[in-house]
Amino acid sequence: MAGLELLSDQGYRVDGRRAGELRKIQARMGVFAQADGSAYIEQGNTKALAVVYGPHEIRGSRARALPDRALVNCQYSSATFSTGERKRRPHGDRKSCEMGLQLRQTFEAAILTQLHPRSQIDIYVQVLQADGGTYAACVNAATLAVLDAGIPMRDFVCACSAGFVDGTALADLSHVEEATGGPQLALALLPASGQIALLEMDARLHEDHLEQVLEAAARASRDVHTVLDRVVRQHVQEASVLLGD
Amino acid sequence: MLQKREKVLLLRTFHGRTLRIVREHYLRPSVPCNSPLCPQPATCHNDGKLLSSDVTHYMVPDWKVVQDYLEILEFPELKGIVFMQTACQAVQRQRGRRQYNKLRNLLKDARHDCVLFANEFQQSCYLPRERGESMEKWQSRSIYNAAAWYYHHCQHRMPIVMVTEDEEAIQQYGSETEGVFVISFKNYLDNFWPDLKAAHELCESILQSRRERENESQESHGKEYPEHVPLEVLEAGIKSGRYIQGTLNVNKHRAQMEAFVRLQGASSKDSDLVSDILIHGMKARNRSIHGDVVVVELLPKSEWKGRTAALGESDGDDRAPGESPSEPMPTGRVVGILQKNWRDYVVTFPSIEEVQSQGKNAQKILVTPWDYRIPKIRISTQQAEALQDFRVVVRIDSWESTSMYPNGHFVRVLGRIGDLEGEIATILVENSISVVPFSEAQMCEMPVNTPENPWKVSSQEEQERKDLRKTHLVFSIDPSGCEDVDDTLSVRALDNGNLELGVHIADVTHFVAPHSYIDIEARTRATTYYLADRRYDMLPAILSADVCSLLGGVDRYAVSVMWELDKTSYEIKKVWYGRTIIRSAYKLFYEAAQDLLDGNFSVVKDIPEFKDLEERSRQAKLEELVWAIRKLTDIARHIRAKRDRCGALELEGVEVRIQLDEKKNIHDLIPKQPLEVHETVAECMILANHWVAKKIWESFPHQALLRRHPPPHQEFFSELRECAKAKGFFIDTRSNKALADSLDNANDPNDPIVNKLLRSMATQAMSNALYFSTGSCAEEEFHHYGLALDKYTHFTSPIRRYSDIIVHRLLMAAISKDKKMEIKENLFSNKDLEELCRHINNRNRAAQHSQKQSTELFQCMYFKDKDPETEERCISDGVIYSIRTNGVLVFIPRFGIKGAAYLRNKDGLVISCGPDGHSEWKPGSLQRFQNKITSTTTGGESVTFHLFDHVTVRISVQTSRCHSDTIRLEIISSKPHMTPDTELFQQSPLLLKSDLVKEVTRSVEEAQLAQEVEVNITEDYQKYCQTKGRSLYTLLEEIRDLALLDVSNSYGM
Repeated sequence: MAGLELLSDQGYRVDGRRAGELRKIQARMGVFAQADGSAYIEQGNTKALAVVYGPHEIRGSRARALPDRALVNCQYSSATFSTGERKRRPHGDRKSCEMGLQLRQTFEAAILTQLHPRSQIDIYVQVLQADGGTYAACVNAATLAVLDAGIPMRDFVCACSAGFVDGTALADLSHVEEATGGPQLALALLPASGQIALLEMDARLHEDHLEQVLEAAARASRDVHTVLDRVVRQHVQEASVLLGD
Repeated sequence: MLQKREKVLLLRTFHGRTLRIVREHYLRPSVPCNSPLCPQPATCHNDGKLLSSDVTHYMVPDWKVVQDYLEILEFPELKGIVFMQTACQAVQRQRGRRQYNKLRNLLKDARHDCVLFANEFQQSCYLPRERGESMEKWQSRSIYNAAAWYYHHCQHRMPIVMVTEDEEAIQQYGSETEGVFVISFKNYLDNFWPDLKAAHELCESILQSRRERENESQESHGKEYPEHVPLEVLEAGIKSGRYIQGTLNVNKHRAQMEAFVRLQGASSKDSDLVSDILIHGMKARNRSIHGDVVVVELLPKSEWKGRTAALGESDGDDRAPGESPSEPMPTGRVVGILQKNWRDYVVTFPSIEEVQSQGKNAQKILVTPWDYRIPKIRISTQQAEALQDFRVVVRIDSWESTSMYPNGHFVRVLGRIGDLEGEIATILVENSISVVPFSEAQMCEMPVNTPENPWKVSSQEEQERKDLRKTHLVFSIDPSGCEDVDDTLSVRALDNGNLELGVHIADVTHFVAPHSYIDIEARTRATTYYLADRRYDMLPAILSADVCSLLGGVDRYAVSVMWELDKTSYEIKKVWYGRTIIRSAYKLFYEAAQDLLDGNFSVVKDIPEFKDLEERSRQAKLEELVWAIRKLTDIARHIRAKRDRCGALELEGVEVRIQLDEKKNIHDLIPKQPLEVHETVAECMILANHWVAKKIWESFPHQALLRRHPPPHQEFFSELRECAKAKGFFIDTRSNKALADSLDNANDPNDPIVNKLLRSMATQAMSNALYFSTGSCAEEEFHHYGLALDKYTHFTSPIRRYSDIIVHRLLMAAISKDKKMEIKENLFSNKDLEELCRHINNRNRAAQHSQKQSTELFQCMYFKDKDPETEERCISDGVIYSIRTNGVLVFIPRFGIKGAAYLRNKDGLVISCGPDGHSEWKPGSLQRFQNKITSTTTGGESVTFHLFDHVTVRISVQTSRCHSDTIRLEIISSKPHMTPDTELFQQSPLLLKSDLVKEVTRSVEEAQLAQEVEVNITEDYQKYCQTKGRSLYTLLEEIRDLALLDVSNSYGM
């Protein structure tokens, strides 16, 4: 529907946020006992679950082993009930392959893989409900899961999306905002150093505006970092209470 | 950042299935309330516009009220309106984008006292919709709740009136909260605005038309029109190429039958469709109205029709059999309307007899719009009789597929039919021009300049600006009597021998701050409107004729462009842009400047600046001035020659000459020579515009406002080429240079009119020059065809064009950018600028149309009182310039009128001319050829009319109740009209004056013809002609009286 007004004259978005505001983020670490690390995150209505195994020996073909660092293996899937219409999404379709590849690139940049040569780290992410910004939710969930597994990383990887409407950059797009087909930028950031782990953009955007959108996405990613940091600290605190010291 | 999250569940059907969508909804503790009574303005962030504090209550309209009575809420008298977000969204959802944009503009308009309160995002105002609760009920409940909160928020200091149409809501909430009243809209108007008659009438007519609509939908007639295809199907169809999108253009002369759809941009992929698409008949037009963006489906080739070439007076059905229309063209039918372009229409109620003949249903009346292209509109009103003799504004509400005509409602009365003020108001409304006097708030922003409190240069500005008062000899050259001088010139020799040429333009932007009230008003007007007898200024007179006007002998702020030129070759070495202070030394007029240039110093006496000087200093000053004018002329010649070499089309220059040629025709009357000074000034202005265009484009490549003139389509020239061929000329239209040259050659020594007509045809074939934002089109399209410049803009007349104000701001920003200073000005982004350009272009077009229509109005009024049979002046010489199947188009050089003359009258008789050339109507037939038309009577006599033949025509006025009167021409002799004009003039000096007035009138029309190709000089000349002293209207009135005298005189003899 063309009539939907993504950004009102008063500066409100469809769901009542202002341009730079994030959706509500809630997260938990250590949701599964069997896995080495796991986490669950809700970013607005986008919900994702991440599980990490490893580092362990290479499974399957030994030829894949890398002599100097660990192999990061990422798999993405989304639940049949994750979108408005129930739809079967078989493993290995193009979209999930692409997402897996992107996750892998992101985490190869963040995990200190050279500490574990000839071994493998598996990251499995499943989206339970998709309401925009699935990539960002997956990255954030996986970060928490990797932390939970105790795998050494350079830094948190925090991701957030940003869009561009009427000359204003919008942070953390929801599904409604994504569906209108405007430009969308996904950014994964290492917040401490400000390094970019992954940057991807759909649709056309004029070069002049890129900086503005990038800035909005980076600021949003830093905001995500504050939230995740709090989650981790709380988790550690809870864990230490449980351990009894 | 405190925020809470709540979820809204939405159930939606999609393809018949139910789909459950969960959407988030964020609430916040504070949203801007925009009330001056707010206890904590800091937490509310009230930074937008505030409600005024001098209202007795706030009014909160319910969603239904906003939907139905928005027009009344637009009244500036209604103050303190708080629109709730819930209501606005209801408008957006149910009334479509057009209505919603209207509401948005209302909220943005600083002049209107209303605000939006985002109640759905406020923690305590938001109410989730309950299970089973209808949308309508929930909306009313939310709005009431928000209104109550607002009341408490303002600490009970301002009563709130919620206005609703829902009876139950009045019952339920009426006494729930003290201080929050709930009443119906009718009640509200009665109690709070009993004196606002216009609002009551409007309310009444809206109510009535709504009632009618409801009745009608129940009655369910047979369908008159096919239903429109849903939007999704349309969009898919356009993408796949099955449908074509375009703008509907109704043929003015056969509004019932023919309409054309002009394709939009490159939307049609199949390139074989180059021409417009014909929409034949009302049925195929399917309820679309002139100007709508429609989607059409092509009919199969077998059903294609041709356009009619006959002069349309009667409807198409009495076309003679065997008279075949032109070859078939793509024909289609409208399947849907993408965007309705309804505006206010001026209509006329039918006279009593007609009403009675319309039969039983006296409540519904079919009114006829003034614009032929608009179908009749059905109005329900009881005032029909009272409104009979008036021009009335109506609005269209709807057009159901069951109804033959659209439904509308009455809005306001303009004036009596035939009354000058009423007719002028009609022209204004029809062109959507609104010119209310400047309001108090706007005038408050204006600087003061009274004898007691004269305006002075401030010392702060003195420091920031370059002071040219002592160093430069600045002077202006304008038509005599001109008050709004926006440009001055200077030239001087520098120490190194080079020359410095300066163009100094009034610094309007210093007084008009961006987004101030006056700026908003000027932006809405976009230009000064010049009608035949009056003008509507863009800026108040205090600016346009006083503080901004660069008058002689006073200090004024200016924006200057100064070039350093090589002393011999006049190459441009350096250019400087900036703000300055100037004092114009001389306010010359063209004739005086020309005399000085020619070395004729007798005019010195007439220049006021020289009067009080003693002989010696006068001589020195005079020499200085004459040197400057000479130098200036020399420079202008050089620049012009350079532009010519680049292949500049000198059409506009020629236009000037034509007009002066005309003046030459009546040489006896006003001995007026084409003045070189005109061209000199124009050339300097073009130079300044060009350099400013370059500068702002370099500084802001994506958001500069420039002006382009696209090269014309070759196919439009075909008529010109053929006409020229009839006279044995060849017109080469391949390039602007070739065109100009061949037009120069196409000169018939015996008949100067031929060349004039060819030129005006060429001008008509050109596209219009347009303003645009540089971010919106590719650089190679920036070209200005007429001036042969790669970049051009309008910089030199900020007093009467809003585009120039924008350009001034851009230039100022560019200068501060060069100085690495922060850009103070808030520049428009490319998108906003593009929108603004579209608006300005539209307004310019409206200005031209209104000017043309008002001129025609005056022509008609002039001829109306004359008896065409006896009055000498109604018979005149005319030139045939186009041939149609049943008549010819004739141009009357004496009055500058163009019109159609029929060769076959309504009874089917054709014209026949006796040996002495006098015409009679006889039965017979017409035969049309390429460049002639032959009328043969049954008796075997025949007469042939060729293109460019001179004939004698009688001018009469065809009066029309519903539309504007039109000039009617009738050929009374195939021979040229013999009475030499000069004789008449000698006979009575009174006539002389009348022709002078005509001259003015005609030159105005010429300007219309010349449309946009003219340069400043033509424009300035044209327009200032009207600012000279007395208005055309008073002159015409005078002539009417004189004409009576004249007649009695001649009878007495």
